[in-house]
Amino acid sequence: MGSHGHQWVIRLDGSVLPDRSLIGGKAWSVARMMSLGLPVPPAFVVTTEACKAFLADGSFSAELQAQIADGMADLEKRTGRSFGRGDRPLLVSVRSGAPVSMPGMMDTILNLGITPDTEMALAVECGDPAFACDVHRRFFDLYAHIVLKAGVVDFAKDGNAESWNGQVVVATGSPLPVTASERLLAAVRAVFDSWNSRRATRYREHHGIPHDLGTAVTVQAMVFGNLDNRSGTGVLFSRNPSTGDLRPFGEYLACAQGEDIVSGKFTPDTLETMKTKVPAAYELLMASSVTLERENGDVQDIEFTVQNGELFLLQSRSAKRAPAAAIRIAVDMAREGAISEETALDRITPEQVRLILAPRLADGQSNNAKVLASGEGACPGVGRGIVVTSCNEAEARAKAGEAVILARPTTSPEDVHGMLAAKAIITEAGGSTSHAAVVSRALGLPCVVGCGPGSLESLSGRIVTVDGALGRIFEGALDVVIPDETLDERLTVLSQWAKARSRLTIYRPSEAPLENVIDLNTVEGGEDPNQLPHLIRGYRGARGGAIASDEGIRAALQEKLEFVVGEPVLALVIAAIRSQTTAAAREVRAAETAHS
Amino acid sequence: MSDMHLALHGLAIKKHASPKDIAEIVGMDAERVASLLAEAESRGRVARAGGKFMLTAPAQVALRSEYSRVYADQRSSSAMNAAYDDFEKVNILLKQLITDWQTMDIGGERLPNDHSNKDRDEKIIGRLGDLHERSEPILKRMAAGLPRLGVYLELLTVALEKAEYGAIKWVSDARIASYHTVWFEMHEDLLRALGRERVE
Repeated sequence: MGSHGHQWVIRLDGSVLPDRSLIGGKAWSVARMMSLGLPVPPAFVVTTEACKAFLADGSFSAELQAQIADGMADLEKRTGRSFGRGDRPLLVSVRSGAPVSMPGMMDTILNLGITPDTEMALAVECGDPAFACDVHRRFFDLYAHIVLKAGVVDFAKDGNAESWNGQVVVATGSPLPVTASERLLAAVRAVFDSWNSRRATRYREHHGIPHDLGTAVTVQAMVFGNLDNRSGTGVLFSRNPSTGDLRPFGEYLACAQGEDIVSGKFTPDTLETMKTKVPAAYELLMASSVTLERENGDVQDIEFTVQNGELFLLQSRSAKRAPAAAIRIAVDMAREGAISEETALDRITPEQVRLILAPRLADGQSNNAKVLASGEGACPGVGRGIVVTSCNEAEARAKAGEAVILARPTTSPEDVHGMLAAKAIITEAGGSTSHAAVVSRALGLPCVVGCGPGSLESLSGRIVTVDGALGRIFEGALDVVIPDETLDERLTVLSQWAKARSRLTIYRPSEAPLENVIDLNTVEGGEDPNQLPHLIRGYRGARGGAIASDEGIRAALQEKLEFVVGEPVLALVIAAIRSQTTAAAREVRAAETAHS
Repeated sequence: MSDMHLALHGLAIKKHASPKDIAEIVGMDAERVASLLAEAESRGRVARAGGKFMLTAPAQVALRSEYSRVYADQRSSSAMNAAYDDFEKVNILLKQLITDWQTMDIGGERLPNDHSNKDRDEKIIGRLGDLHERSEPILKRMAAGLPRLGVYLELLTVALEKAEYGAIKWVSDARIASYHTVWFEMHEDLLRALGRERVE
């Protein structure tokens, strides 16, 4: 592809690592995985230079079109498949990739290359006509919404290309381009256009990002995990994301596509199944996991597919993890020398510490207690109090110092003031996306939803304990314990690392100095973070009110207090370090960790 | 529709609010709302606590009984009802998106999102932006039939931009006019105006 006047298309094969500003973040990470010798589906990238030329004069030159065609021919050769025709169809994904990620850029188009002809070929190849039809339908859905901006159109599962195209005509006035090649060019153009979408433009203006960087477009071969018994799909975590345990943890589903795992329709098998069915792919996956964790300096969440026994890594990114796992992983990786103590601390948020040290039911308490109602746990945590069924009553009694549990058939915006006053929320109807669930999570309040029609009215006036994790409402006020942060070895180590770096000292209430300390519980406005700076000015230390929050700690640092009194100590010390360190400095550290 | 009806309607949606909060969603200036509420207070229709107001129980009932007359045109408009039906579709997507924002699935267990994974957060805010753009034409169709609804689109855009620029509490914090707060208030407004029932 180098014989042309401009090099607007670059083949990604791991031989060189092109400049990130030329190929964008997505293609760069694909190229980097290839250069590490990891198995990634073949791809090429349309460069930001091509985008700039397009944006300058709106031209989509014959030269660019020819180079894209060459890129596709190369993908056909590397995969042994053909694009838009033939017995073994090549389908590709098309994604945007700017040098810096920003909102408003075009979403990924999948399954491009599917047509009525290739749908039939795919149906024969995987022996599953329903799957091939669904691939086609998903393509219509993505293409119509993303490229054609067709709004809300539902493409029926039992339809076909003709009926879906009819819907597109109704919504947009014209059908999809006919050939796979035309569709590919239109998708590339749509990515270019999205560079100047309103949201992307606004974002660049806000962050002072130049408007002339342009975006690249990555075109990558798709692989299929449902072709035969030596195919499959799965996810692998380089360490256990629930516990932080060192052993890789994953799921595998033989003869299936990625969305089958996500949909929850099938129960995935363990990795042992994979080891038995496709041992070579399994060994390569384990080795890849080690490489990726080492190179990226963090636990990885790896999506993969096995096609006819051959492993392909689709994506690898930092894994999301449970709070307890986050603590364990940060300490373990620092001890292994994989990351610095600073980086370990950067990876822990005050919120994670608060979550693992949140009050919980004492051991055995739930075994003997009577369950008055149960539903879906929408927000974990334990709340105890008297059940009230009206928001006004909840607000009034809470103001008088009572602990109240708000029970409602459902909630709506007019109930928010009552929810704010409650220790827990319980509802009769609605699931995990209901208003009550959403608001209680936003407020960090224990919440159980969907206990059943008429199940809560009779609880009015009774003392109950709500467990938002179990989704149960128990009779009476059960014993609650607050985990002790000083009894956990890893929390103690983190505390030592953190204290050595904090300009602010944090004391537990029992150990705090008493002189020249302001108790914000006794001062008007002490609960309002905005008023803290002037309230605490001139004191040595502060306690109570809103001081033990992230905003409170920021105010204490700003007013140069010596100490703050509150718990959990670790959450507050970490809040202090985060306030001292700018987000930019943390990002630099993260980048250095990933590339060292 | 009278200004008084509109002020009380705004208060019903906000439930416990200052004239300024109400003025923001009903498109009147705050002084006008304040004087209307003072008048309503003198007639026992609202109660004042601090700088905030609440509707009295009889006023709630009276307000509800007025909707079918005030919004008769909108209720009988097929364009308005069709737009609302489309709104219900994006409403389902929005609710799912907010749930994805607030929770994370770890090893099959659903935990609160502790917002420690910036990439994941950015991705969901990106999805929110897409959903916003898909909702925009629908909201505009509804505002064509009831112009004051246009303010919600402005407030949603403000919340979205704040979230996109990194102030992530503007996605769903219940204490501020976050995207979710505004969306839900708008939904409540629509339910009342069009005489529809909430589907959980």
